[in-house]
Amino acid sequence: MQIRYFARFGVTEAMIAETLAGALSRGGDAADVFFQHRVSSDVGVEDGAVNRAHASVELGVGVRVVKGDQTGYGYTEDLRLPALLECARTAAAIADGPARPAPVRLHVREALPDRYPLVRRWEDIRPDEKLPLVAALNERAFAADPRVKKVNVYLRDEAGAILVADSSGRLVEDEQPMTLLFLSVLAEQNGRREQNGYNVAGRAGFEFYSPDRLDRVIREAVARTTILFEAGPPPAGEMPVVLAAGSSGILLHEAIGHGMEADFNRKGVSIYADKIGKPIARPFVNIVDDAAPPGARGAINVDDEGNAAGTTRLVEGGVLATYLHDAISAKHYGVVPTGNGRRESYRHAPLPRMRATYMLPGPHETEEIIRSVKKGIYCANFSNGQVAIGAGDFTFYVKNGWLIEDGKLTRPVKDVNVIGNGPQALERVDMVSNDLAIDEGGWTCGKDGQSVPVSQGLPTVRVSSMTVGGRGS
Amino acid sequence: MTKTTPSLLDLTRSAADLALKKGAGEAAAGAWQARHVEVAWRDGKIEKISEATTRGLALDLYVDGRYASVSTSDLRPEALDRFVEDSTALARKLAPDPFRALPDPALYQGQARVDLELEDPSHGALDSATRRRLAEELEAAARAVPGAGQILSVTTGASDTRAESVLVHTNGFEGSRRGTDFWISAEVTVKDPDGRRPEESAASGSRFFAELESPGDVGRRAAERALARVGSVKGPSAVLPMAVDARSAGRIVAALFGPLGAASLQQKRSFLEGKAGATVGSALLDLVDDPLVVRGLGSRLYDGEGMAARSFPVFEGGVLRNYYVDTYYGRKLGMAPTTARTSNLAWKLGPRSQPELLATMGEGILVTGFLGGNSNGTTGDFSLGVRGFRVRGGRRAEPVGEMNVSGNHLELWKRLSAVGNDPYRYSAMRTPTLVFDGVQFAGT
Repeated sequence: MQIRYFARFGVTEAMIAETLAGALSRGGDAADVFFQHRVSSDVGVEDGAVNRAHASVELGVGVRVVKGDQTGYGYTEDLRLPALLECARTAAAIADGPARPAPVRLHVREALPDRYPLVRRWEDIRPDEKLPLVAALNERAFAADPRVKKVNVYLRDEAGAILVADSSGRLVEDEQPMTLLFLSVLAEQNGRREQNGYNVAGRAGFEFYSPDRLDRVIREAVARTTILFEAGPPPAGEMPVVLAAGSSGILLHEAIGHGMEADFNRKGVSIYADKIGKPIARPFVNIVDDAAPPGARGAINVDDEGNAAGTTRLVEGGVLATYLHDAISAKHYGVVPTGNGRRESYRHAPLPRMRATYMLPGPHETEEIIRSVKKGIYCANFSNGQVAIGAGDFTFYVKNGWLIEDGKLTRPVKDVNVIGNGPQALERVDMVSNDLAIDEGGWTCGKDGQSVPVSQGLPTVRVSSMTVGGRGS
Repeated sequence: MTKTTPSLLDLTRSAADLALKKGAGEAAAGAWQARHVEVAWRDGKIEKISEATTRGLALDLYVDGRYASVSTSDLRPEALDRFVEDSTALARKLAPDPFRALPDPALYQGQARVDLELEDPSHGALDSATRRRLAEELEAAARAVPGAGQILSVTTGASDTRAESVLVHTNGFEGSRRGTDFWISAEVTVKDPDGRRPEESAASGSRFFAELESPGDVGRRAAERALARVGSVKGPSAVLPMAVDARSAGRIVAALFGPLGAASLQQKRSFLEGKAGATVGSALLDLVDDPLVVRGLGSRLYDGEGMAARSFPVFEGGVLRNYYVDTYYGRKLGMAPTTARTSNLAWKLGPRSQPELLATMGEGILVTGFLGGNSNGTTGDFSLGVRGFRVRGGRRAEPVGEMNVSGNHLELWKRLSAVGNDPYRYSAMRTPTLVFDGVQFAGT
């Protein structure tokens, strides 16, 4: 038996072969089927009690047919053959010609890497273990500071698997766990209120929640909230921006990552179209998009098209090296797919997407970078960002940061959006520290209405000038 | 009149029964089914066709004074049986929550006796050739504008959905509804001599196919907007009047609705807490939540909790009149429920068009798009990336971009100085052009 996980739903090799034959019945170049089963469970604390839970199941299948750059797609929740064949017929309509042969036999892709080994699988964790964990976090957050007035805790876990089989006969299954813990704090001081939080996420089992990690969740959530009482907006205008190691990788995600997704370049709508092989940053700038960080939220063993997923070099020695490809763009450019074909669920066709995007360590010292700034801001924590792919403008929203005056962090700043232009901002990365950290937070990336989990990281970096959306001067 | 697929109604009723059988004291079951078709077209040919009928089921379980919710797309009877059983067992492990219960059945009564006309009976006649023709026409119109030689790429799309849902509450509510919507859109990328490739888009959406704007108008508008972005500059940091065009204004208005929600009030995360009856904006901030707009994108006869939909004032002459109160947080706060979520917003419109408003404004910036940024619901502080146009001498002047606006909502809305006569039809928020005095812009 080749099919392991999805055998429990009655999915057979013969069904898949017949579906692929239906998909190619009108002459598509290639076809694939994508089965998905995802079971998630949330437990939550509010107003002092573990008093809510949510469970969800997603089970479905999508059939895709590709003809050149064109895609036909159909999906259903019904995993029986007639429904699969109906999806295949729908997707097949993208092409209009004689049928192409489909594989009669499928072969299971050779062993995948094991980037998210599980010690304690979520299927085996009973509520009696999860509930005390979130209850204790709630109590400890209140105990950490008398100003804490409201605490919310959510623990989410996901189990399940994907199966991809394509018209080359390749079949692959991957079990993809995920967990996320979110602690949010509301504090009061002298009639003022502030809210903030901290979250951690990864492809891991219950063992993810080590005492160290839980301590950090409480410490960070409370500290990031209470410091807001001392914080204000920074001044408005252009100034040097220092990005702290870790979640500041949001800079890369927005300033270059999306712009390097090959679909945008294939269509000529990215500001990076036609820039491969050209220098775009200082020689010490190296940026990768990596499927491999063990247990990272953005890690994958294989992409959602069944292609091997490794480490893709976006910028090498300051030179733009490789786009992020799915199968369609790889064929268009005549290169090997980079394993970036990802999708939110069976309801969506894959697109080139990021995984874990980060910058490699550089030659500068963190202290030296901060010392070098006469007047600017230091960005520590972020909530969200966005980019306009073609114009190149991008933003990230700084939840916590510091003003830098005469080389020192002087007063905390908060709630400020920073805006720049992608290629310009990369050119202006003029110092890179050696303290790379990949953030442990629960980042989610949105594109074309599809959300996928990602990771990001950065060493401490200086951008010589960006526009800071503060107030006054 | 509309009819519901018998199987969907049966599925929902039997799911509610299953919840009771597995030990829930009461339950809400909601099931939905949708047919969604989407055609994307790019530069002279089809890019993607997606077509599917999809369904799902959700349950709220009230078990021994405890609460859990579930959702699933695995509707095989044996799987559903086990899932509900596991979920009720999980609920029993939780702490009791005395505020959890289905709504007061009295609130189910009194649904408006109107036909909201949310379903276009001609939907089934829409075929793939028509969708393709719409997409082609959108592109052709975009490529026909003066200056089209600068266009790098045009992506257009036509999509439509026919959705139906059923809601059953075990304390006496059963409702079903059906609706259609149709959308066409165009996104145009143009060449800026400095290497940038600015993009802009336009869309039209409607409950009825015949009410869609012509693809010619939508395609042309997208191209004109994109070409107008060429040569955009970053202006200096300054405090200036800000006009926000009708299409974009939803972004800044949306920041009010989280803090208007009972969950935010009860969790002390709302800068609007304690402001009922207080002035929070200028007299021009005046809008009603109106679920009963015929053919409205946000229209409904009952809300997500089965409560009969009624219109209510949200802001009246700048005074906050009502919060969005659901059953659960309403009970925690001792407040009567209104509804959990917005339906359609009906603004008290001003007498003037956007060009007339700009003429009065004189100097300032017209914002036509936001980029990222966020709003702090607890404090009201916001900071948002913007693009748009400088306004000089009362007229739209050069394009500006890579700028930012920031401030606090409690101050911003008091400086609302004009409201246009031009509600944006393609969003249930129906925002008109809004003009604010004294807004902090960050640029060079």
